[in-house]
Amino acid sequence: MSLLSLSGVEKHFRRNSKAPQVRAVDGIDLEVGVGETVGIVGESGCGKSTLARIALRLIDPTAGRVRFDGQDVTEDGIRAMQPVRRRMQAVFQDPLASLNQRMTISQIMSEPFSAHGLKPEGGVEARTRALLENVGLGHIDTGLRPRQFSGGQLQRIAIARALAVEPELIVADEPTSALDPSIQAQIVNLFLQIRRERGVAMLVISHDLDVIGHISDRIVVMYLGQIVEEARAADLLAAPLHPYTQALLSAAPTLKARRARSFRRQILQGDPPNPADAPPGCRFHPRCPLARDRCRSDPPALRTLPDGRRVACHFAPDETLATGQETGRSRLGLGAVAPALRVERRGAK
Amino acid sequence: MSAPAATFRAARRIDWLAMAALVVVALLAVFALMPGVVAPYDPIALDVVNRLKPPSPAHPFGTDEAGRDIFSRVIYGTRYSMGVALAIVAFAAVFGTLYGVVSGMAPRWLDNLMMRIVDMVFGFPALVLALAISAAIGRGLDSVTLALSLMWWPGFARLVRGEVLRLKTEPHVETARALGLGPVTIMWRHIVPFVMSAVNVRATTDIGYALVAVTALSFLGLGATSPTPEWGLLIRDSRPYFGSAWWYLVFPGGIVMLTATACSLLGDALDARKGA
Repeated sequence: MSLLSLSGVEKHFRRNSKAPQVRAVDGIDLEVGVGETVGIVGESGCGKSTLARIALRLIDPTAGRVRFDGQDVTEDGIRAMQPVRRRMQAVFQDPLASLNQRMTISQIMSEPFSAHGLKPEGGVEARTRALLENVGLGHIDTGLRPRQFSGGQLQRIAIARALAVEPELIVADEPTSALDPSIQAQIVNLFLQIRRERGVAMLVISHDLDVIGHISDRIVVMYLGQIVEEARAADLLAAPLHPYTQALLSAAPTLKARRARSFRRQILQGDPPNPADAPPGCRFHPRCPLARDRCRSDPPALRTLPDGRRVACHFAPDETLATGQETGRSRLGLGAVAPALRVERRGAK
Repeated sequence: MSAPAATFRAARRIDWLAMAALVVVALLAVFALMPGVVAPYDPIALDVVNRLKPPSPAHPFGTDEAGRDIFSRVIYGTRYSMGVALAIVAFAAVFGTLYGVVSGMAPRWLDNLMMRIVDMVFGFPALVLALAISAAIGRGLDSVTLALSLMWWPGFARLVRGEVLRLKTEPHVETARALGLGPVTIMWRHIVPFVMSAVNVRATTDIGYALVAVTALSFLGLGATSPTPEWGLLIRDSRPYFGSAWWYLVFPGGIVMLTATACSLLGDALDARKGA
């Protein structure tokens, strides 16, 4: 049973009536199961934050449906969304900007309770203490304001606040990107701890495959508003099928993949294209090391492979070679794609 | 190391111009609240022997055609001129802020409608409205207050609406929505407090402009009536004697200019502090 389900979601933006339309999110199907952590990864501008805002119903999708716990909430108004919002909380990128600087920490922490008319056992004050303690901030003075804390502390406070209403889903949009690398690891660990302790489902969005790789059960790779690959985290990290995923993986500095002896470094050329003027055919073809004529005209569909992975590449194999069974040569990098390429060539002759 | 130190020095440096403006405004407040303590003479008592006397230790700003002490009249006038200017700006700030917040939060069609109304009021000539109101309820400071209040609020409405539209997409407001807070709570707790600094700056500056507008209407004969010692009226009454009694025009005119400048400088100082 999926908790959050997005189907055929699109969001088009237009700066004004004459400007070209930007398809920031272009036909996304995505499910987050109960207690599952799904990571969305992609470069800046690929539409992942827009997708997060649609999932949170902060902006309306141009097309597609948003369902929460089986219930279609796409067109629910403020009042109808209220009970859903209690079950679905958000953590954003910049913790200082996302907290009201004129409020004290105790006021900030009391907002979720007043928003949903909750009266926690033992009072708001005690509950706040317990929540802060849970995120490792049991010692702080709650009479202070956000400016008096560090970015890492503020992100912990934001997470504690999101947990106050005991949500079933947390949508975290770049929760570590504004923080120092040493603090990023702490926040990632905090998310892991929360998942372990509470079994809350998470949709984590980041450009950083390291973060996504550590947190997620399942990883979704986005490129220019579309999903190019989706797989269980272990499978995706061990054997990425899409050339874009391979390139992202090769750019991730600390993942185990990097240390594998057969690792082939692959650097993406150029910037992602302008989403207002997406290339025809496969959107990735101008930057793809495998691009061939077919890619320039024929957009690959997001195929579901027999083992449940999804990939949108003409040259990805139809089945994943079972992880750990293949030879070192094909475990990583282009190795996984190469057999398919050979098949393609034979067919072309 | 040097950059924070420089910032620190900049923050500690006293803005002497703003301090001077503050002193002027503080003095005006004293004048307005207790003119009897400062003013040496009765502002309306006639003294025909001392008509149109130049400035002297006894009459620092000289006397007018009826022998009244201009210094005392300027001091008593503070209450009228500044009082009316304050009333206008207070009404405009409160009404304009409410209007702007509602417009900024409202659905697009209502926002558009409300802003077209603002455009209409903006486009309406203040002088014509003032004439019409004086004709309807009679000449006096009441009609000046009414006319200028009705004309003044759209500036605040536009300013506040713009700020609200900007704030609506701020992360902390988006977070508040995601948290499940209602629109009214978001408005009062997460938007209005952040609008107020801009409103305060605008109001401070506008008191000076409102003062100039009030004195202008009085000067044109639409405002205060004799013998009220209103500043604009003093300037109006001085016209026949400009060639022979310069002090009659220069001191009331000077105080209007000084006050308007002080308000403008205070507004600038507030604006500079807003970001810090």
